[in-house]
Amino acid sequence: MRILSMMVFFTLLLLSACGEPTANKTDWTNKNWKEIESNAEDTTVRMFMWGGDEGINQYIDEWIVPRLKKSYDITLERIPMDTPEILQKLQTEKQAGKQDGTIDIIWINGENFKNAKENELLLGSFTGVLPNYNEYYQTEDPAFLTDFGTPVEGMEAPWGKVQFVFHCDTAKIEKPPRSFAELKSWIHENPGKFTYPRAKDFSGNAFLRHVLYAQAEQPSDIFNRPLQEEKISNTADRTWEYLNDIEPDLWRSGDHYPDNLTELDRLYSQGEVWMTMGYNESRAEALIEEGVFPRTTRSFVMEPGSIGNTHFLSIPFNSSNQPGALTAINFMLSPEAQLAKYKPDYWGENTPISMDKIPEEIQKEFHAVERGESVLPTKKLEESFLPESEASYVEWMKEQWFNEVVQK
Amino acid sequence: MKSFKNKNYYLFIPAVLFLTLPLYGFMNAIFHSLQTGEDWTFDYYAQLLQSDRFITSLWFSIRTALIATVISLIIGLSITRHFHGYLEKNAPRLLVWLPMLFPHFVWGYMVILLLSETGLAAQISVLTGVLPDTEAFPILTRDPNGIGIIITYVWKEIPLVILMLFPIYASIDPDYYDLVDTLGGNGWRRFSAVELPHLLPVLIETFLIVFSFTLSAYEVPALLGTTFPEMISVLGYEWFYGSSWDDRPLAFAAMVSVSIMLLISAGIGYLYLNKNRWKAMRGGR
Repeated sequence: MRILSMMVFFTLLLLSACGEPTANKTDWTNKNWKEIESNAEDTTVRMFMWGGDEGINQYIDEWIVPRLKKSYDITLERIPMDTPEILQKLQTEKQAGKQDGTIDIIWINGENFKNAKENELLLGSFTGVLPNYNEYYQTEDPAFLTDFGTPVEGMEAPWGKVQFVFHCDTAKIEKPPRSFAELKSWIHENPGKFTYPRAKDFSGNAFLRHVLYAQAEQPSDIFNRPLQEEKISNTADRTWEYLNDIEPDLWRSGDHYPDNLTELDRLYSQGEVWMTMGYNESRAEALIEEGVFPRTTRSFVMEPGSIGNTHFLSIPFNSSNQPGALTAINFMLSPEAQLAKYKPDYWGENTPISMDKIPEEIQKEFHAVERGESVLPTKKLEESFLPESEASYVEWMKEQWFNEVVQK
Repeated sequence: MKSFKNKNYYLFIPAVLFLTLPLYGFMNAIFHSLQTGEDWTFDYYAQLLQSDRFITSLWFSIRTALIATVISLIIGLSITRHFHGYLEKNAPRLLVWLPMLFPHFVWGYMVILLLSETGLAAQISVLTGVLPDTEAFPILTRDPNGIGIIITYVWKEIPLVILMLFPIYASIDPDYYDLVDTLGGNGWRRFSAVELPHLLPVLIETFLIVFSFTLSAYEVPALLGTTFPEMISVLGYEWFYGSSWDDRPLAFAAMVSVSIMLLISAGIGYLYLNKNRWKAMRGGR
């Protein structure tokens, strides 16, 4: 009997820890900015973000962290973690009723934002209080109002802007394909020299959505419409046909797709495949610099265009340091921080900031930045820009690709 | 007498404490796999049975785990059998157990570095002229037959098998062998009449440990497996962490099914051993 009562006792103990205490916290999202800044002083902000890129990590650790410390006396801790796992952690904290969470800032967009918003894991609308956002950004820009089709509603602040490009070694390929049709014949002429990451991977999924865009009458049929499977069935059929057609001539005859972009990059750097790709128009620069990619690597985009999107910073519902998180996000949105991010030294990523709203000196500095030889000219990128489709396409692509291409 | 009995119960406290958390997790997983919103349903299990992806993955996992386990047991057994004399010395014993020091994850990476198409083995074979170029090297990692996964586990689990079997061999009385020899038995009889009865319980135990571990492990299949077919835990992980959270109950249902399967096989193994123990106590075999 005693065992039983012990067990009951411990089960109750566990269950009682899961009850939801009532929230009783200050809402900082409509306070006076001066007050927010002074409350942020001498605090620690924990920023959870994907840590898979050395350049990005260095930008945070070497550029952002010391300046935040100096100007605002904020200690920023960068904690690398994959975004779905960050959301899982938040979900667990929510289930356990933990109101003083361990996460203050998350780097997020797309389906992760959708999941976070739908599961109420985010603080709520906060961009209205950020001075830098309201002063230097085109707040009405559709790219900031929806994120993969999900209304943003002020729950995340735009941090960066990227566009999908392909990379090839010009020493091996003189003329990269100009359209998906040309890519197909190139693959057939060079069997084993092309592959793409599987649909589960972020970059692989973006590649597949490009194929989908290319097979539609026009790309806007996809990105302007919410996902309705029966309406796009013809486009979808052509997409699977295209992918199944190239499969036998992919690397390893399509028996194995790289798990992620890192694996594809490795194949490219070892010369096993001749093309790679990625969701950042300037990412090859750093890799060339480190000697991972050959010096002759250049980027290219194909007809009908290249998908681009905005990524954001957000605050979880249970951040225990809201003033600190707000101040840090505001700083990361500042023209100076965006300029440093734009320079190829660390990250080299495009900025969502509005050029005509920022002071002239900084504008000049932006224009003076040499993004590197592997990066396409801004004009070319802008001309080929295509918006992201709704987030549900990502999930749909993941499942359908597995059924229609891998299992066939 | 009564107080003595109560004291016995206290001995269970650490075990109960230790088991509460996993048990709570398991119960939670069962609840999640049986619920849609507020209602109870077996829907997710029905979905699993209809899913080609799940069935293929389950079969592939069982097959891979079974092959890896049987090979580890056979090699581990023959090493222990032939070398248990040497293994009594410290240095050879440490040498054999060396792979146990590395996490599975690290071992998986070593296998990739060694055996991938551009790995060390491929490069050495090209340098020594065995192969014309690295493309001729067979695909041993990230392959659809699970060879890479099997190699990693075999390599990693043989030391465990030796660790489990070594004390048995060390404790077998040599007189038994003399008895077999006197009665005209050959090498096989030595094994089947003397060693096997001693070994059997431990062999079954080791089989269950290695098999359940391999079947449900994640990191090695994630590292060395291919896109399709995939191991069950890789599929479970994908369903759990996939971008939409609608597949989560499926992940729970899949992992609960595997756990129940393993519990049943452990139960059968236990009953079998117990039966033999009863027989042995009554003096028959």
